[in-house]
Amino acid sequence: MLLAALLCYAGFTALCLSMDRHHAELLGHKPTPRRRFGLKLLGWLLLSWSLWAAVVAAGWGSGLVQWFGMLMLSALLLVLLMPYRPHLALSLAGLCLLASPIAVFARY
Amino acid sequence: MKEGFRQAMAWLHTWAGLILGWLLFAIFLTGTLAYFKSETSRWMQPEIPVRSVSAETSLTVAQHYLEQHAAGASHWLIELPGARRQGLSVHWEAAAGKPGQHGEQLLDPLTGTEVHPRETLGGEFFYRFHFELQMPYPWGRWLASIAAMLMFVALISGIITHKKIFKDFFTFRPRKGRRSWLDGHYAVGVLVLPFHLMITYSSLVMFMMMVMPAGILAVYKDNAQTFYQEALPEDEVRPAVGNPGQLLSLAPLLEQANRLGTGGRVAEVTVNHPGDANASVVMAFDGADRVVHDFGRTVTFDGVTGRQLDATPERSLPVAIAGSFFGLHMGHFASPVLRWLYFLCGLAGTAMIGTGMVIWVGKRQLKHAQSAGMPLELRLVDVLNIASMSGLMLAVATYFWANRLLPVAMAGRSDWEVNGFFIVWGLSLLHAMLRRGRAAWVEQLALAALLFGAVPLLNALTTPYHLGMSLAQSDGAMAGFDLACLASGLFFAWSAWKIRRSGRTQAVSTKRPRSMVLEQEAN
Repeated sequence: MLLAALLCYAGFTALCLSMDRHHAELLGHKPTPRRRFGLKLLGWLLLSWSLWAAVVAAGWGSGLVQWFGMLMLSALLLVLLMPYRPHLALSLAGLCLLASPIAVFARY
Repeated sequence: MKEGFRQAMAWLHTWAGLILGWLLFAIFLTGTLAYFKSETSRWMQPEIPVRSVSAETSLTVAQHYLEQHAAGASHWLIELPGARRQGLSVHWEAAAGKPGQHGEQLLDPLTGTEVHPRETLGGEFFYRFHFELQMPYPWGRWLASIAAMLMFVALISGIITHKKIFKDFFTFRPRKGRRSWLDGHYAVGVLVLPFHLMITYSSLVMFMMMVMPAGILAVYKDNAQTFYQEALPEDEVRPAVGNPGQLLSLAPLLEQANRLGTGGRVAEVTVNHPGDANASVVMAFDGADRVVHDFGRTVTFDGVTGRQLDATPERSLPVAIAGSFFGLHMGHFASPVLRWLYFLCGLAGTAMIGTGMVIWVGKRQLKHAQSAGMPLELRLVDVLNIASMSGLMLAVATYFWANRLLPVAMAGRSDWEVNGFFIVWGLSLLHAMLRRGRAAWVEQLALAALLFGAVPLLNALTTPYHLGMSLAQSDGAMAGFDLACLASGLFFAWSAWKIRRSGRTQAVSTKRPRSMVLEQEAN
């Protein structure tokens, strides 16, 4: 469940950054079209990877439930963090990406 | 045409949300609390000792007790302790024609001594209130199913009304007055939408026989019971033959049932006609090992020979689908982390309803900002908002306080805990009527903050299980309950402070006209 949570949060942050308004808010300038596309792709990839991670870890029944839970919670966390602690929101996403390989290996 | 449709939906969202919004708030909040039903009960009955004994040991203890105290009974029912449930409870029922031999007793699963905890409904109260609303059958269920239907209407119309679901997906702008309330409403609504849809739709499935009985009635005419019998066949109980027979030791049968292992842990053991040659033992699984709720999977043994008599067949696909809605709604399968997620999602749903009600009043208050008083209907909604939200928090806190402060030996104790809940709820309504809107909010929230924040202290003063001890012993339920109360206390204190402060700034800037964009957006 941990890996799925990390990937969900990172994925949502990438999707959020792929929007002009939020990119400008968090990083100070608008993204180039290429960068926007890249972030969008990365975001969707991370989200689908998190689904895979949840299903592999807990099977379809519980995995899907856990994935939806993580999906909702990570999005809520991101949205609540952004206005109050924008730097923390971003660095948390970086931390999630860094920690996810560890979470992968921790399972074996 | 498109704009007209959206406006119609906005109208529907506004009024479907308002009409039972207060009730829905209470239903969501108590339902959320019910996810921790067992943990709440554990906190409310601290006399029940926490033991980690195997199910076989406690079953042997129970059998020994029942053989001594209820040998002639026609049925025994043994509820085994589990990871979330302390105490071993045994019930017995007299044989036909021998009245007065009905009883139940809570036992220490390790020693078999009788345990007499304080009388309380515990977490069961929230669970029952969640769908029965403290009304006699079937009225509460009817009202709850109507509320569920309106919730569903409000959700769907809300999705259609919300123009910029994806554009505003990540948007939350605090400290912007009404704009923030709307953002908050959208955020908890949209981001937690899968949960909202699941919980509302599954509640309609659970109330299926009340909400949409036509399909079943058309096929089965007046015999709805036949429908249940066909969908969920029950094993028939073998009648007693009248010859005495020696009941086997139950523990090996439990091991055997667990080896079949199709539905998780055995939670309940029923013995029919103990002491008879035709005795049978029914082991019921708790079904907490999978998402799909099982409607009571059992395996039956002959009580004298130990032969397996029967087992619940695999459920048909439609029953499994219905079971998945039940299972998802109740979350019995949830591990502690997932249970907290359920709890947070429930809180988000409660917050969605709450913010919606506040926005309803706030939007209409704009029009009367210049005049001194509010029109009666607006004042009515405001008063009901206060009583149904902050008043309910006070009532919940009172319920916990009553549990610790009422004398343990008091007659009708558990009733008085519930009475306390409703008395305080009623008083909060009175208070909201007497005080002006903002003052009432602040005062009630501040009191709720005090009551919730002091729960750990109260627990430490009235029981030996204070936070220091429960944390040291990693007693998750005890410590978690105290800490959750403390956290809610802090949250209420923060919100009371926020409301008070925003009241001051608003008093200064009350003459400044608010932007009209806002008002259009809100509708």
